[in-house]
Amino acid sequence: MLCQHCQQREANVQITKIDNGEMVKLFICDQCAKNAPEVSFVFNPGIIPDFLQSLFSVTTNSKALQEEACPQCGRRLSEITQAGKLGCSGCYDKFQAELEPILRKIHGGGYHVGKIPARKGASLREKMEVKKLKEKLQQLIRNEEFEAAATVRDQIRKLEQKLGE
Amino acid sequence: MERKEHLLKHSEWMKERPDMPVVLSSRIRLARNLEGVPFPLGLTEEASQEVEKKVSQQLEELAIDGQKLTYYSIKDLTAIEQYVLIEKHLISPALVSARGARGVAINPDHRASVMVNEEDHIRIQVLLPGNQLKEAFHLANTLDDELEHRLDLAYRENEGYLTACPTNVGTGMRASVMVHIPALVMTHRVQQLLGALNQLGLAVRGLYGEGSQAFGHIYQVSNQITLGKSEEDTLTHLEAVTLQIVEQEIHARESLAREARVTLEDKVWRARGTLENARLLKSEDALQSLSLDRLGIDMGILPPHQRSFSTLLVETLPASLQYILEKELTPEQRDEQRANFVRMAMSEVKETNMEGGNHNE
Repeated sequence: MLCQHCQQREANVQITKIDNGEMVKLFICDQCAKNAPEVSFVFNPGIIPDFLQSLFSVTTNSKALQEEACPQCGRRLSEITQAGKLGCSGCYDKFQAELEPILRKIHGGGYHVGKIPARKGASLREKMEVKKLKEKLQQLIRNEEFEAAATVRDQIRKLEQKLGE
Repeated sequence: MERKEHLLKHSEWMKERPDMPVVLSSRIRLARNLEGVPFPLGLTEEASQEVEKKVSQQLEELAIDGQKLTYYSIKDLTAIEQYVLIEKHLISPALVSARGARGVAINPDHRASVMVNEEDHIRIQVLLPGNQLKEAFHLANTLDDELEHRLDLAYRENEGYLTACPTNVGTGMRASVMVHIPALVMTHRVQQLLGALNQLGLAVRGLYGEGSQAFGHIYQVSNQITLGKSEEDTLTHLEAVTLQIVEQEIHARESLAREARVTLEDKVWRARGTLENARLLKSEDALQSLSLDRLGIDMGILPPHQRSFSTLLVETLPASLQYILEKELTPEQRDEQRANFVRMAMSEVKETNMEGGNHNE
């Protein structure tokens, strides 16, 4: 396959870049890869563990931070980095800031939009509903459908009141 | 049900779905963890036993169509039984090689298997024959709902379901289909296809062996992204791609039949000849011949036989073969027994055909 960038040399590198929150995969040659400023990271498919470790090591810089431990399971950031695996649910809270760019690189950005557990997520579900209704409200206003917009606005108020309690 | 009887059963996913060509099976896996408990890798032996006890108790309360799941602790299974479960895709090799107390709960017809203390505390898996991703998800989701009522699962608003490996976080869902694409391999179109699938954010691997040299021409296609995309979107995407693969494979079969009819007929008849006559059959030879035999049946060149393709694939693998024959075998003995086993399976064809009134020959 020819390099998708220069269209001249043989592609031998797979690139994943994040474009407006969308993950885009490109097959390009190593020369273009070196010069491409928009490239987020380069990896050789098929070496997942190393690939994970490299993701972690790029983002963790300060030594003090590396030695910080999760209050729940005691795992240090350096250990998480080395294994490419987290220790417990608490690690996600403790190292949220350090994890965020890694998750973005793996999954191409965005937050969870899938299943919400019924028992734990009752209020979450309502929050999502509010988010959706607000988008709908904007749409209706843009279309000048004010009557429908008023109904949606009332729905939002009701839900927000319930969430506030 | 006795343990051996349960484990030896032909799994639901091994059934033939003639209405769904090319796609052998569909699988959904959901990764879940307990809130506030270290993930399995960080558990002490004692703590892993506590997790196993707590989760397996709940799993044994679950039922599908009124029939309960049965829990097997890895420590209670023989090495052969552990490998039989791997060969039937009911557990992962990682569950066997992991440390600590661990195991799997399986329902009577093997549609659902839930691993405890693999990489995550809980891994729900549903496997169905043919192209049935949405049906498999529905069942897995129902089991997940049940578990959620009974256990406190690790979940955050932004990260979704929390998992030991950050590649699974979000939905925790890995959806995959197993496709049998011999014509795409023979027409050298498989590399191109694999590249295209990678660009679509899907992972592809040969089921037996690696890369384009996969034995048995069977590939597994799965989603890579679990965060920022809903379960439904992921499934719809994978389903659409799967239908494309099916279409391309059928297209390739048609062009083979048009442009290389005799070569194709020779290939599949030779495969049938090997299966019916070989006295020594290596695992790879069996996979390759069974694959071509299946292609010949699908294309109406070879008469069908009684056992399903997937059943023959699994039952000729080393552990299953030894478990069925109830004896430990050296690799050389296995090749001989495998050949005997396959010959016997092939002869079942003729008997049924005769019973069916086919006395023309």
